[in-house]
Amino acid sequence: MIKIPGVAAVLSALFLSAEACYAEKLTENLDISGFARVIGGYLSHSSRRFDGYTNEVSLDEQSLFAVQPSYSFNDKLSVSSQFVAHTSDDRDSGLEWAYLSYQPSSAWHLRAGKLRTPFFIYSDGYDVGYSYPWVTAPVQVYNNYLFSNFNGASASYYHSGNSLAFNLEAYYGYFKGDLFLAGTKLDIETEVENLAGIVATINRNNLSLRVSYHQAHNKTEIPNVSQLRSQLYALGYNDSASSLESSGNVYALQTSLSYDTLNSFYKAELMNIVTGFEIAPEVTGYYLMAGRVINDWTLHATYSRSEYTSVKMSNELPMPPTGNAQQDILSTAYYQVFASTPNGSLDSYTLGTRWDFRINMALKAETTLLKESRSRSGFFMNSSNESTENAYLYQVAWEWIF
Amino acid sequence: MKFILSPFLALTLLFAPGVFAAFASERVVIVTHSDNAGIRLSREQIRNLFMGASVGRDLQPVALPPGSRTRSLFNIKVVGLSDSRVQSYWAQMKFTGRRPPPQIVNSEKAMIQHLLDQTDSIGYLTADADIPDDLIIIYTTD
Repeated sequence: MIKIPGVAAVLSALFLSAEACYAEKLTENLDISGFARVIGGYLSHSSRRFDGYTNEVSLDEQSLFAVQPSYSFNDKLSVSSQFVAHTSDDRDSGLEWAYLSYQPSSAWHLRAGKLRTPFFIYSDGYDVGYSYPWVTAPVQVYNNYLFSNFNGASASYYHSGNSLAFNLEAYYGYFKGDLFLAGTKLDIETEVENLAGIVATINRNNLSLRVSYHQAHNKTEIPNVSQLRSQLYALGYNDSASSLESSGNVYALQTSLSYDTLNSFYKAELMNIVTGFEIAPEVTGYYLMAGRVINDWTLHATYSRSEYTSVKMSNELPMPPTGNAQQDILSTAYYQVFASTPNGSLDSYTLGTRWDFRINMALKAETTLLKESRSRSGFFMNSSNESTENAYLYQVAWEWIF
Repeated sequence: MKFILSPFLALTLLFAPGVFAAFASERVVIVTHSDNAGIRLSREQIRNLFMGASVGRDLQPVALPPGSRTRSLFNIKVVGLSDSRVQSYWAQMKFTGRRPPPQIVNSEKAMIQHLLDQTDSIGYLTADADIPDDLIIIYTTD
């Protein structure tokens, strides 16, 4: 059975009738541009779900349409926004970002408003599939503990010397909304404050190094877990109760190295996220990719891996059955919380191709072998706790910018 | 089996010879107004300027439209990337709101006129273009 819901069908029709065109300057000051992607995918697994995909061909997991109006008051001051319509139920459609931008000189760029979070190389442009070679950027880096935007301000400084160019960006803000863990929207209102980060990028010829550090204070309460925590405190199980605290600091470190030549490109990116609370495990993710450019064609190969460390649960609560029914319910609930926390690892091997068949359109196809080397990588939904899962993910994409 | 064969195919293609040799003999010149006569820029600085970085003074890069042969030559010889990779780069910069791409003029003739009118701008032309006296060449590619 093929699943083609309304929005994807509308998008396809739009593409079929679309003429290649560029950002439309409606007036001297108003510029409208945008992008769209139609992505089809199929997972070769009879019972699991990965990143929304199952063994039914689906076009509505990652397809989207975005419009970006931008208005310039003068050379230095402008206001920009981006509206995105997602086909996936996991992503909220609507205003993705909107900010006031001030460029006092070509070296400085200051922004304030609702901004995209610049965690990793492609985080802030994750929806813009045209900007990267894959259909899906490596999930082990891009789908962990993610939220795509925040409210706040950022300052960026660029400079190019004789042989080195660098860019330093710092931001500060807060976030309230949906949180993604291993590509799945968690059904909780996330609240993050004192979100701050610094991103340094150094370029020499076509070699680029990006190092970034991000931290935030998480205030998110998971209703069921906080209820269980209060009960445990009330009964004097303080160790168990405190191990369920979900409030604390989160730290993310990212580093990447890219090398581009006319005919080939290489990229490696590594990230590590550590939290100051026990219920959320530390996660490390990385990928290595190489690509070859032949006229309008790009061929690429990627190896990617993510690994969660084990979470530290308290062993204060006796294992059920103990004969005390109330006690058993609490213990079962406690151990279940930890049993559902990811602590496995996922390896993936991707081979893909991209064809830039028009100036602003590209077609892509890729195959990814997903292989859990330790169960509970967090990426396979409906997965049992013990088994390791393997599957192929086949995807095709149509990318368009206008 | 399918998965084992594909990497070999991919690797064979990865080591295929380059395909941008067709442009080897053509040259591009980087041009600005003679008011900027004191300016010395390395290829790397010109590259960075056209990729959105500042070189310490407010020079405004001006580009030819995607699909233009001179733009391709510039991308290959100065930026060191194919047209589609440069397009991808600008899609990333623009749709993340980081930097706008350089202003685009539609032809080399329009480029010359723009460089004459906007004295703080910098652009590129083919080496055989008829360059007026008020414009100066600050860099010539191999």
